[in-house]
Amino acid sequence: MLAGFDFDVIQRSYPYLFEQGMTFTLTLTALAMVGGVVFGTALAMMRLSSFVPLATLAGSYVNLMRSVPLVLVIFWFYFLVPWIGGWLLGAGNTIQVGAFHSAVITFTMFEAAYYCEIMRAGIQSIPRGQVWSAYALGLNYWQAMARVVLPQAFRNMLPVLLTQTIILFQDTSLVYVISATDFFGAAVKVANRDYRLIEMYSFVAVVYFVISYSLSALVRRFQERIAVIR
Amino acid sequence: MISIKQVGKWYGSFHVLADCTTQVAKGEVVVVCGPSGSGKSTLIKCVNGLEPFQEGEIVVDGVSVGDPKTDLPKLRSKVGMVFQHFELFPHMSVMQNLTLAQIKVLRRTPEAAADKGLKLLERVGLGAHKDKFPGQLSGGQQQRVAIARALCMDPIAMLFDEPTSALDPEMINEVLDVMVALAKDGMTMMVVTHEMGFARRVAHRVIFMDGGRIVEDAKKDEFFGTPRSERAQQFLSKILQH
Amino acid sequence: MNYHWRWNIFFQGSTNPGESWLDYLLAGLGWTIASALCAWAIALALGALVGTLRTTPHRWLARACAAYVEIFRNIPLLVQMFLWFFVLPELLPENLGDAVKQMPPPWASFVPAVLCLGIYTSVRVAEQVRAGIQSLPRGQTLAGTALGLTRAQTYRHVILPMTFRIILPPLTSEFLNCIKNSSVALTIGLLELTGRARAMQEFTFQVFEAFTAATVIYLLTNLVIVLGMRSLERAVRVPGFIGSPQAGGH
Repeated sequence: MLAGFDFDVIQRSYPYLFEQGMTFTLTLTALAMVGGVVFGTALAMMRLSSFVPLATLAGSYVNLMRSVPLVLVIFWFYFLVPWIGGWLLGAGNTIQVGAFHSAVITFTMFEAAYYCEIMRAGIQSIPRGQVWSAYALGLNYWQAMARVVLPQAFRNMLPVLLTQTIILFQDTSLVYVISATDFFGAAVKVANRDYRLIEMYSFVAVVYFVISYSLSALVRRFQERIAVIR
Repeated sequence: MISIKQVGKWYGSFHVLADCTTQVAKGEVVVVCGPSGSGKSTLIKCVNGLEPFQEGEIVVDGVSVGDPKTDLPKLRSKVGMVFQHFELFPHMSVMQNLTLAQIKVLRRTPEAAADKGLKLLERVGLGAHKDKFPGQLSGGQQQRVAIARALCMDPIAMLFDEPTSALDPEMINEVLDVMVALAKDGMTMMVVTHEMGFARRVAHRVIFMDGGRIVEDAKKDEFFGTPRSERAQQFLSKILQH
Repeated sequence: MNYHWRWNIFFQGSTNPGESWLDYLLAGLGWTIASALCAWAIALALGALVGTLRTTPHRWLARACAAYVEIFRNIPLLVQMFLWFFVLPELLPENLGDAVKQMPPPWASFVPAVLCLGIYTSVRVAEQVRAGIQSLPRGQTLAGTALGLTRAQTYRHVILPMTFRIILPPLTSEFLNCIKNSSVALTIGLLELTGRARAMQEFTFQVFEAFTAATVIYLLTNLVIVLGMRSLERAVRVPGFIGSPQAGGH
């Protein structure tokens, strides 16, 4: 079995796998993380607001995203974004949106629902007294959120946010279904071209494992250092 | 300075405050006492609009608190409040706690704010701790910083919601001393507390609440001498044991 | 907008003779549920075992289980699917490998998909079970031992019954995740709901109708399962026990 293992094909495809594939994966992860956290925090604030239509809207969006498979959401945005883009730009038809941009939008919108629930738990865990004392000093809602509540909520939830990002990193492999060339997609292409399925897929599994495991270990160690002392 | 007229409040169907009427004149120190659940914390939170109320009127320095057109943040910047659990912002240093609202609400320059903060910190005896974080301070120290933080806004009145209830016994006096000094300097104060010793020292009037109502509202000597209501008498006898 | 809406597409014939597109999609739902249920059975059995073993004092056993969890948790599901479908048959001894490769579709896709999803989900179940066991007060084990029960008996009669009631809400979420994750099997040829919606879109060009139908079907399935689990929770609830936090909504 291992006699015919062709390590060479892995070595030869290093540039393609990492410069093309891994770059795609890491860029997508980074962009979706930032966009997702920002949008997710906004959604959390909407869900917690006392303006009921806004809270309901945000709540429905989050529940919808969490009830449907990511693969389906990827397809949705892949077909929907060109139409919406065309409508926004008045083109009357679809515009061209590549797989990468479609994926960035998809993952940002999808992960925002998950980041929202994390931030919502974080915001709700801040004692009401903090909000009261901020208001008592004359700060308004936005100042109280920006200066007192969100910094604490974010710091408390950072480990959970990072863990969710590691999940996001693994989920990006699903862009395979729209034929995007992320790390996994690149490996599949090489595997099919050189007929070296075992080598490529095993290698990909090992790389994903090493990266995810190391990041999780880092988060665990990080967790102790940044807890806000009450 | 503070005028409370026939204030009523409900949490859903629970009648929390009923027909509360009283006033606090400039320079007066009024102590509010009563058993748990009597509504005293709720009443004081209504004074600066932290809690809404459905009936009646509260006017602070000529501004109506319940009026929807009132600029509440502006009003709150003029009235200082100190909480039972101190509520310093744990992610900021002591100095940052003191200067945040001065800079953001009163638009002072950072230098002016820092100056003021340090001066008030020294006034409460904690000048050396300006760069520490709240988690590094004891309860009594945190509460004194909280008082300094409220004073940095140059308030016309100060509200205290059970300021010593969460403190270990050894630390209660250091906080009460600061409050007594404040009272002697002529600050208008409304204090919810169980500390009757403090009331006897500096209060002008004492209000006793029970079941959401103001049951007794008398000058200090009268209150401790011959309280008119049986309920107040019961309460006093229980807490004056020690 | 130049998109032609054709909602009656669902009643028109699909690529499978005699089936309308709606029938076609609902058959996909059948495959989704079948694969999710089979995978869930594996996940529960394995997950409960691994999760429980991790809490025992046998260090090497606990470490082996921890390794198992870490391995299957840090590799994306899609990659695992490909390993099960493409790589495993090559690694098996000749006869077994050939037998596997000769499985007719749809079983050729269904079996690896179920095994893969089962093991992937078992890891998550294991973590829930472990957390549930560790959330019980230590006194429970001590009381069992004091009564003369062996460790196995204590687990069987004291620890595990309470654990499962406590973790019923998060387990519901995991089952719903299992249903959603079954969609990944479309990459190895399993024609479940999402895959069929995609096929319908490719054939009829009615993109939004196809994917809307799939979305609605997933939402309804979700609803049915959540309601079902709630009645299960009520049926097994221990009177007076406030321990289990109520999962508010999703």
